[in-house]
Amino acid sequence: MSGDGSAPGTTGDGSAIATGGDESASEAPADFHEADARPPTVAVVASLAAAGVAATAALIASPTGGALVGVGALAFLGGSLRGSARVLTWGATAGVAGIALAGYRGAPPEALLVAAVGLAVAWDVADHGVGLGEQVGRGARVRRNVAVHAGASLLVGALAAGLVYGVSLAVGGGQPVAALALLLAGGIALISALR
Amino acid sequence: MSDPSSGAAASEPASTDGEATGRDGDAVGRDRDATETESADATETESAGAPSDREHRRAIETERWLGVAGAALALVGLGVLVRQSSLVLAGAVGAGYAVYARAGDASAPALAVTRAVSDEAPEPGDEVSVTVRAENVGEEALPDLRLVDGVPPGLAVVDGPARVATALRPGTAVTFEYTVRAARGDHEWEPLTAITRDAAGARERTTALDAPTAIACTPELSAGGDLPLRGLTTVHHGRVPTDVGGAGVEFHATREYRRGDPLKRIDWNRRARTGELSTVELREERSATVVLVVDARESAYVAADPDAETAVEASVAAAGQAFSALLDGGDRVGIAALSPIDCWLPPGSGTVHAARGRETLATDPALAPTPSDDRFYRSLWLRRFRRRLPADAQVLFFTPLVDETATAIARRVGAHGHLVTVLSPDPTTAETAGERLTAFERRQRLRALRAGGIRALEWGDDSFPAAVAAATRRWSR
Repeated sequence: MSGDGSAPGTTGDGSAIATGGDESASEAPADFHEADARPPTVAVVASLAAAGVAATAALIASPTGGALVGVGALAFLGGSLRGSARVLTWGATAGVAGIALAGYRGAPPEALLVAAVGLAVAWDVADHGVGLGEQVGRGARVRRNVAVHAGASLLVGALAAGLVYGVSLAVGGGQPVAALALLLAGGIALISALR
Repeated sequence: MSDPSSGAAASEPASTDGEATGRDGDAVGRDRDATETESADATETESAGAPSDREHRRAIETERWLGVAGAALALVGLGVLVRQSSLVLAGAVGAGYAVYARAGDASAPALAVTRAVSDEAPEPGDEVSVTVRAENVGEEALPDLRLVDGVPPGLAVVDGPARVATALRPGTAVTFEYTVRAARGDHEWEPLTAITRDAAGARERTTALDAPTAIACTPELSAGGDLPLRGLTTVHHGRVPTDVGGAGVEFHATREYRRGDPLKRIDWNRRARTGELSTVELREERSATVVLVVDARESAYVAADPDAETAVEASVAAAGQAFSALLDGGDRVGIAALSPIDCWLPPGSGTVHAARGRETLATDPALAPTPSDDRFYRSLWLRRFRRRLPADAQVLFFTPLVDETATAIARRVGAHGHLVTVLSPDPTTAETAGERLTAFERRQRLRALRAGGIRALEWGDDSFPAAVAAATRRWSR
């Protein structure tokens, strides 16, 4: 540990003491180093909030599935602090598995949609934060950028969820599941043709 | 995930998509940081300047959404298998993100970039604040824009990163500010790098934007006390005592009287004692030709810690003191750099030469604060240097002595009849075993040089004039 303290030039490995290191850097301008490649705090916080929403929604639907989504949220936190996109991917995989499990156990569609959108936004913002950390660093002003990105991601998720939920309500509950899937495939084919 | 042809086709929906997300982001942005200056950025809509010259560097797919379609299909498939409609709906959300990822396109930013520095001719060590303003003068919104300023390699950013990430609607601008510490030399900013992504972040484009800015930092040369020179001199009168008898102030020898010797130099005491006429010889004081050689090879750019000044900086500062001290003493002084880049100021004197020397030490690319990328060829440099060096020139060699090449060059120049004095800033520390070993090796080199008849002095934390004064007491002429 003493070696860590005496070498201010090393960056990127002090993930566990991320917030502490930031404090000391802002207090002592002599220790200013531009190459702090950790993701900006605002992205980490936004990602955690979205992941929390997703885990809560999944937990309401199914405890086991919710636990898996919670594991995914923890992986998002770890990946953000380490600045590792790979850990984020593992977290997203765990989250998708959790949603699949919750759905298999017969979760209501509302909770599952909220969980899916929350998971997507959480992963997107966390991964965006890692990219920002690499390109502009932790010390730069990024709030507007993260806000726009998170907002766009949330908007897309909300639109998609609203659309499919509305369609599923409109066609009524009696339709077989395969019909829904075919409808979805048709919709995607239509969008692809329009582009 | 996407075929090559879709890139061009996607440009039309991309712009509308970008607009929508930009407006959405604004609302979010205002909610989150109403106190931050960024809300001021958004309202700042001045006259649209001409876009800066740009050079496309690269456009890539980030592939961050790779697999989202697969995950969506897996959820839908599972939903069909287990007859759960909610899973199909969740999968449909994933499909929505997959469409979103393919929809956007990273446009080349049309930005008008201006850069302002608080002081264009700072003193070394001054803090210069740099303000960069980038305005989106294009038609399209930039939902994800990252700007990295091209700070000159010789300048250290001491406050606020020279980077920003933001989103810009057409007509809005972003301003960011940072502080650099001025270092000796001419510094020119490199182009600003702009990285744009589409709203989903699936495509990324890197562009370099020109915004020429430069600062010149020329330190004043202060005379650093008397630098003792060795006995190789020109035939002109000056201040270096020599072993040549003649007119002067200090006793040198007596010799037999010859006709024509001045009366006041006859040793009258001896005449009274022995009856013989003899003449007192005094040490002649002559001027010297000195060439200051500064070691600026890549290996000489060493410092005791990452924030400290390099040995090259210390050498150049000491050479500046020596330059003005010697010039004031009436000697002819020249400057050369031991560097891959050619640098040669022939020995001279006078005020014009003083100005030229100051300019050379401050801004010559061979003595830049950061090493050049070229390779250094020792034999080539030596041959050129010896051809230029006047036969009666002494050499003051400023080097941190971090490798054998420096000692070898000092010996080679000394072997060709030029008296060499090695002046060595000490960049070594003694914290770890490796550092102590390096310091030991350097001391051995100094010892070997002294054993070989080359004068050497080193200075560490204490100033150069103090080290010279301390060393001079030991030295014979």
